[in-house]
Amino acid sequence: MAKKKMTRRDFFKAGLLTGAGACLGAGVLKPTGLWAAPAKVKGPVKIGYQAIMSGTLAGYGEFHKMGVDMAVDEINQKGGIAGAKVVVEYRDSTLKAPEAIKNARYFVDSWGADFLGGVDSSGQALALAPVMKQLGKPIIFTHAATEKLNEIEVFQKGIKEVFRISSPTYQDGNAAAFVAKDLPAMKWATISPKYEYGYTCWGMFKNTLAKLKPGVKFVAESWAPFGTTDFRAHINTILDAKPDGLYSVEWAGELISMMKQAAQAGLFNKVKHVMLPVGAAMDVLEGLGKEMPDNIWISGRYFFQYPNNKRNNEWVAAFVKRWKHYPAYVSETGYSSIYAFKQAVEAAGSKDAKKVIAALEGMKMDSPGGQRVFRKEDHQAVYTVPWGLTKTDPKYPFKVMGKMVVIPAEQFFNRPPFKGPESMPPFKK
Amino acid sequence: MLESIVHVCLAGLSTGMFIWLVASGLTLIFGVLGVLNFAHGSFYMLGAYFCFTLLSHLGHNFWLGLILGPLCVCAVGYVVERYFLRYVYHIDLPYQLLLTFAFVLIFDDLVKVFWGAGSIGSPSVAGLAGSVRILGRLFPTYSLFIILVGPLVALGLWAMLERTWAGRIIRAASSDREMAAALGVRVPALFTAVFVFGTWLGAMGGGLAVPYVGLLTPGMGESIIIDAFVVAVIGGLGSLKGAFLGALIIGLLSSFGTRFIPTFDMFLTFILMAIVLLWRPQGFFGEETAR
Amino acid sequence: MSRTAVYVIYGLLALALLALGLWAGRFVLYLTMRVMLLAILALGYNLLLGRTGLLSFGHGALYAAGAYGLGLFNLHVSSDPLLGLLAGVLFASLISLIIGFFCVRQTEIYFAMLTLAFGMMFFSLIWNLREITGGDDGLIGISRAPLLGLPIGRDYQFYYLVLACFCLSVWVIHRIRGSAFGLVLAGIRENHQRTSFAGIPVKNYRLAAFVISGAFAGLAGSLATLLESNANPFAAHWSHSAEPVLVSLMGGLQTFSGPLVGSVIFIVLREIIQRFTENWMLWFGLILLAIIMGLRGGVMGGLEKRLARGRAAGQGGAS
Repeated sequence: MAKKKMTRRDFFKAGLLTGAGACLGAGVLKPTGLWAAPAKVKGPVKIGYQAIMSGTLAGYGEFHKMGVDMAVDEINQKGGIAGAKVVVEYRDSTLKAPEAIKNARYFVDSWGADFLGGVDSSGQALALAPVMKQLGKPIIFTHAATEKLNEIEVFQKGIKEVFRISSPTYQDGNAAAFVAKDLPAMKWATISPKYEYGYTCWGMFKNTLAKLKPGVKFVAESWAPFGTTDFRAHINTILDAKPDGLYSVEWAGELISMMKQAAQAGLFNKVKHVMLPVGAAMDVLEGLGKEMPDNIWISGRYFFQYPNNKRNNEWVAAFVKRWKHYPAYVSETGYSSIYAFKQAVEAAGSKDAKKVIAALEGMKMDSPGGQRVFRKEDHQAVYTVPWGLTKTDPKYPFKVMGKMVVIPAEQFFNRPPFKGPESMPPFKK
Repeated sequence: MLESIVHVCLAGLSTGMFIWLVASGLTLIFGVLGVLNFAHGSFYMLGAYFCFTLLSHLGHNFWLGLILGPLCVCAVGYVVERYFLRYVYHIDLPYQLLLTFAFVLIFDDLVKVFWGAGSIGSPSVAGLAGSVRILGRLFPTYSLFIILVGPLVALGLWAMLERTWAGRIIRAASSDREMAAALGVRVPALFTAVFVFGTWLGAMGGGLAVPYVGLLTPGMGESIIIDAFVVAVIGGLGSLKGAFLGALIIGLLSSFGTRFIPTFDMFLTFILMAIVLLWRPQGFFGEETAR
Repeated sequence: MSRTAVYVIYGLLALALLALGLWAGRFVLYLTMRVMLLAILALGYNLLLGRTGLLSFGHGALYAAGAYGLGLFNLHVSSDPLLGLLAGVLFASLISLIIGFFCVRQTEIYFAMLTLAFGMMFFSLIWNLREITGGDDGLIGISRAPLLGLPIGRDYQFYYLVLACFCLSVWVIHRIRGSAFGLVLAGIRENHQRTSFAGIPVKNYRLAAFVISGAFAGLAGSLATLLESNANPFAAHWSHSAEPVLVSLMGGLQTFSGPLVGSVIFIVLREIIQRFTENWMLWFGLILLAIIMGLRGGVMGGLEKRLARGRAAGQGGAS
């Protein structure tokens, strides 16, 4: 509780600082000389950002906001985007598609947003794609992971307004298979969410692993409905199948519950290789604390220990200083999405939607998560996120990655034209 | 295979008993007040959060938290009944539902404001943290504890309703409100008392959920309230005995269904609910309670 | 208020809505469409709740039936919007007939719980029949082809289709309420035993009311699918089924205009709250509380009482 209070006070302080910073930015520190932006853009750059802020997943909204707020304050303190101030407005996306659409329409048509960002649910992302085309403003998705978004909506249907800065299901399915092929495990099973995300990832994992390692067997599937809190029957299904490896794309609170209950049932004594594609989410690591076993394979859409370079380490330090939390992956993708817009606007010399979209296509950007390239064909940011084994480190109150396996994104991201086996890994070259 | 069946059975029992703990308060309130309380899930959530906060402040003594936490929620329940619900008993049933629904919205957001939006992983209970080996497979001690607590609560409720003076008054008021009033029972005060007691049961369920589910999230009451509804309906609305049996059935059905029917879904539980409503809306022990 | 005054108000309202289509911005149009769709759902719903006295917790499923009916028809058969709407409404009516057949056997809370159970079964079907429904991603890419040669692709064009459906629904529902059939429904609400003693097959009337309200839910659902260009499974979830209940109660059960006003309040209020706080549920809940405690009988019920305290005292109250 004491810790919570700190956070709230810090929020308040941060608000004051932001306000002060904004005043300074507008008055005293008008960008001049070296600080002058390359091209002037009129008026504030308005970004409408939506994420889930109510219900059981509301924590994700908080993590999004931490990252985005940081980017906004940094940018405004350093003279804004091409001389223009950045303004962000948040809205609760809930999990329902009509809400997401209403928010997007509000942002563009009523609030006057230049760009949009955010969105956690895949269903919402797919529903938003045609709406963005109609609204004619670019959106950068920062969490929703469905590969249908870039493969079908952008590549096939040609919806140019849609971009995604976070890694899609390729990281969960394909990359996991690349890691799994080197493990001494021939029989795999899964407990995964009973919806598209779960089905897709497990399907991708099976497909790619079967190609990489002929003879591997998939022995059990147990699908947990959305909102499952009791995984005990699912865990028994896995124990009965006696697999060598367990693959699970359970995420957020449900993953926390599953891991605790699996530990109680002694699952980790019997199944030696466990892969959690979204296990490196900070809410999961913090929520499980020391109860997360060692030597579990985890990954995410960003992990604060990677890349181990100055840019990232400084960012993480600043983040921890400000929020008393390590950055979650949605904090990084949210943060970077604002910088992506900044870079694109400055390159385009305008905040005009068409010009910014053109600038974003194929754009290379440096971010805490490493270098990202927005693929021209499908608007998907290509960047590398590690897979790692959990280990105890006295420096942290939660488990971190020990041994890391880094597979370059180019090796496992599906490639255009997204048709037939040539579009899927493993690739010859 | 045998160990699997035994363990799935145990898992089903613990799920069932856990739902029963929440459904008992819902059922009691419905049986006496005739109000289907949507906010019961919120009391469950508040129970969990209060227990957690108290236990973090009281030197990680889970039992003390479990006693004090639900009492705090009782105060909330008192306010809800005394200052709001009391004024809508006489108007349409939908308004009562709506009122409790409004409280669901309010409490969900209040929890976010006071405890933060993120999920909180909760500690395990000292002494009940481990597992016991049953037929070569580990089963959590705490789940066994829940399997024990369920019937104990049921027994306690039964003894209170059947064997005490207060219980007799509650039963009288639930079978005929006017008659009880005519005989000198202060019905409004009784309703408040029953509502607060039902709240306490729900909050208790929440407190026990802290180590059982393993985490706290705003909105955590929403999934359990539907389970509790189903159980209360299957048992015959207002019947505690029925709710107990209903909880057992739902717990075992979902556990065995999950393990042995790959396509298992809540579809089956809702079919069961519909069949019971059509065939025996008064539940398994229908004649017993009034409403 | 006199009858003429009421007609004048409705006439002015219709004119204002017509004018809105010409001058309003895109977001205002969009919100107005959402209000009208919710109003169609709620007006139809109130035939059941306010008129017949049956509390349904399954109308989300009927709305979703309309949405998926139109969606599947649009994707696999024809993109003609009129045929699509027809398909949606027919499918929703069929589903209401099936669900209603079972549910009207019970009343009060048991009816509510039955509709909840059937609604959630339907939700589960949509969620799990992935090959047909797209699972939790829903149906996407539903297009708005021209209607009888008139383009409806743009929002201000589509607005007039929604407006036409809305006016038609208001008129039809008003007629139903005033008809002999509507009076029988009111009789069933007040005393179903007496009504059945009068030789009226109460169950059939209840079923008819259920199907009619289901058809309007289906119309709202199919129009929404055209508006949002997708159908999603949460439309069938119980939390969505609570929406028409909320709207009817907020506006007032026993008035015709109650659900209309409730729809406006529901959407506009939420929009306003969301403009200055992310904790919209808290404020929405508090206002809901105030409406229930202060104006039992809903906003319109309360208003009516105040406007004509003497005359309307008998009919304005909720119980």
